[in-house]
Formats: sequence, C-alpha cells, structure tokens
Amino acid sequence: MKLQSHGIETDLPAGWEGRIGLRTQPSADARAPGEVSAIGDAGERPNPVVHLANFALPEQRGDFGSGAVDLMGADDVLVVLFEYGPECAGTPLFKRTGIPTDLTPNMFSSSALQRTISGQAGCQIFFTENGRAFCSYTVLGRQSNALRVVPQANAALSRTRIAPR
Amino acid sequence: MTAVVVLLGLVVAVLALLVVGMLRSHAEILKRLHQLGAGLDPDNPGQPASPPPTPVTSRQDFQVMPQVPSPPDREEFGGAADLVGVSPGGDEALSVRIQGVEHDTIVAFLSSGCITCQKFWDAFAKPRKLKLPDGTRLVIVTKGVDGESPSSVASLAPAGFPTVMTTQAFTDYDVPGSPYFVYVHGPSGRVRGEGTGPDWEQVSSLLSQATVDAGLATTLSGRQVAKPDADAEREARIDRELFAAGVEPGDTSLYAVDRSPLPEAAGVQDGDHEGHEGHDHP
Repeated sequence: MKLQSHGIETDLPAGWEGRIGLRTQPSADARAPGEVSAIGDAGERPNPVVHLANFALPEQRGDFGSGAVDLMGADDVLVVLFEYGPECAGTPLFKRTGIPTDLTPNMFSSSALQRTISGQAGCQIFFTENGRAFCSYTVLGRQSNALRVVPQANAALSRTRIAPR
Repeated sequence: MTAVVVLLGLVVAVLALLVVGMLRSHAEILKRLHQLGAGLDPDNPGQPASPPPTPVTSRQDFQVMPQVPSPPDREEFGGAADLVGVSPGGDEALSVRIQGVEHDTIVAFLSSGCITCQKFWDAFAKPRKLKLPDGTRLVIVTKGVDGESPSSVASLAPAGFPTVMTTQAFTDYDVPGSPYFVYVHGPSGRVRGEGTGPDWEQVSSLLSQATVDAGLATTLSGRQVAKPDADAEREARIDRELFAAGVEPGDTSLYAVDRSPLPEAAGVQDGDHEGHEGHDHP
C-alpha cells in the first residue's frame, strides 16, 4: 500500500497504515505569536509529519503521537518522522545521514518517551536526508516485545523515501 | 325379467365404453405431455424433474425509496480493499487498513452533495449517539478530488472519524451510489454486510444483522478457558503470520491431512479406526 505526499513516499508493510500530512497552520488572529496551544503556534510554519503504525491510527493525534500512544497494545509500534525547518539540515544535531533502518531493542528506553506510559519505550534519532532535517521517533507498545516488534519498525522505515524539496 | 336383464346389460356396456374412453383420453394426454418433455429432467432422462423454481422478484420490479441508491446487480457481497487517498483538506495522504486487522470496519460511502447524505454527516458529528458495535471502526469515504470538492468535504467531515477521498474505493467495493455502507470483518477481510437506508438508525439496524455472528463468536470466545499470556501471544502471532502468508481463516490447507496409512495403523482391523485417520492414539 503506497502513500505519497510532501516529497515523502512509503510502501507500507502488510497490516500497517499511515498518514503523511501537514498540520493546519493556526490562524494569526486566533492567538498571539509566541502563545503555544494544543494546535501549535500562530507564528510557526508547520512542516510535514509522517505517522506509520501497525494499529488503527486515531484522527486526533499530536505530532509525536499523543492520542495514538494511549491506544497502543503490546505488539503495537508507532513510527513518527517529523521534519524540521531547512535551517536545521546538516547541523550537529542532524549530522546523521539517511533514514535510520537499523533500530535495535537496546536503543529503546522509557526515558526516551515524550510522555511516559507504563511498559512503553521510545527511540529518537535525528538525521538529514536529501537536505531535509528529520526526527525519527519510534514507540513500542511494550518494551519486552522489542525483539519481535522492532524489525517491523525497521521494515516500515526501510520502505520510506524522502525526496529533496 | 328378461327385459330387466337386457337393460342392465346395456347399462354395463355403456359404462364400460365410458371407462375405456376415459382411459384412452388419459393415455393420450400423458402421451402428448411426454412428447412435450414435461415430467422429465432433461439432464437425467427417466428421472422426475425438480419442481419449478419459486418466482423471484426481478430487479426491474424492485423499487427503493427515491433518495437511496438501488442495490447492485449481483447476488453476492462485493469485494473489500484497504483505503488509500487524501484527507478532505487535500494536504494529507492517508491509508486506512481494512483487511487483516483485529477490528471490524464500517465503510460509509458518502457525497457532499446528496441530501440524504447530509443526515449521515450530521449523525457522524455526534459519535457517542451512533452506538457503534464494540471493536468496530467507522471510516467515511467520498470520491476523490476528481469527483468531489475538497473544501466541501472538509466542511462536512467529522473530527472523530477518518475521512478518505478516493474514487478507487467506489470501484473496489462496487458501490452503486451514495449513501452506501459496507461492513467488513477485519481478520478475514471479507464483506459481511452491505446496504443503505434513509438515516443512520435504519442503516445501523441493517448492519447489526451482520454483526450478530461476530457477537456470537465473541460470546463463545469469552467462555473459552483462559490461556497463559505466552500461549495467547504465540497463537496470535501464528495467526498473523499465516494471514500475511495468504492463509486465511477457513483455508483448506489448514485442514489438509495425510491420508496415507500410518505404519503402526497398518495392522489395525477394519472398523477399529473408522473416522480416526491422521492422529495418534495413546
């Protein structure tokens, strides 16, 4: 099942579904610049976000999977590719090149979660691909199942391509 | 006395003639029917024909309410497929998995223009009142940007359910028109029910018929002896791997047995092993 938008393309493995989108930009008159809300900052320029999961994604999701991680089961995995602004590409934080497709269970930790949920574990890797800066954020529904689930995340990531802007 | 006897004789003779005439007439009728082929099955000469089929109302005679589409011209359920399209805003590509998932899905095919669809858009804006069956996901599908206005669909799409704009899905599911609803069993990926109606209450009632079996299966599974977590997870993993390999529930390969006689069973007397092929005895 192929999915393509915003210069990002993925061919999802069996049992996976995904979204490649751009969060709606908050209207400038709704909130003052600098005032952060649940839907973003009025002054920000949203970048593409990819959500790939082996479970049914809910419609109400945060950029880093809030709303979805609450629904995850023991064998579920969520992969987020979050793009940063072009000024970040190639900077020290994003010095790694290419989408990480070789995640291992020991790379996951509960302390890497954006929001701690008992039993879950996360892994965050920053990288640059074709001049575009991304964060790869992967969440496991249950850390003890990492040996079985992480290869699924690697399969989904290895089927994803990022084209230059 | 003689006259009476003669009279009786004449009466008997006349009656005999009438009987013979009736028998000949009956024989003639049977002969004509036989020549016409009645009473015989053409595939099995000499065998009595099956009774004529019960008259069925033709689709041309079947009338539906003007605001809902007529049923498709086929006898079986249509196909099912995963959904790939764009969001109503048009700036998000999305895919929704329908087949090979644990949950069931109700796919609602709607349009931004039809008056009847407006009732469903309104109903879907209030998810708690829908009373969806447990473990069932509602997905709304409209035609793609080639057949719908993204801004119109965006103004109608509810926040709580995925809305996919894809014309391909209308073809995949053989949808006769909007509004139309298809109920897909997730694990098997097969359509369990489909149809339409003037409002959600009627459609919900229609689809509940399709969920009766699923509800019964759930009830029965609740009566099974609980398994240790490891066993249950192993069983679930095997089911997923089989499904990924194309072996669906009910696949004949799951029930294939080796019919060749077992060495230790070769000497078993006839009758001792009837109906026990392919398994061991203690």
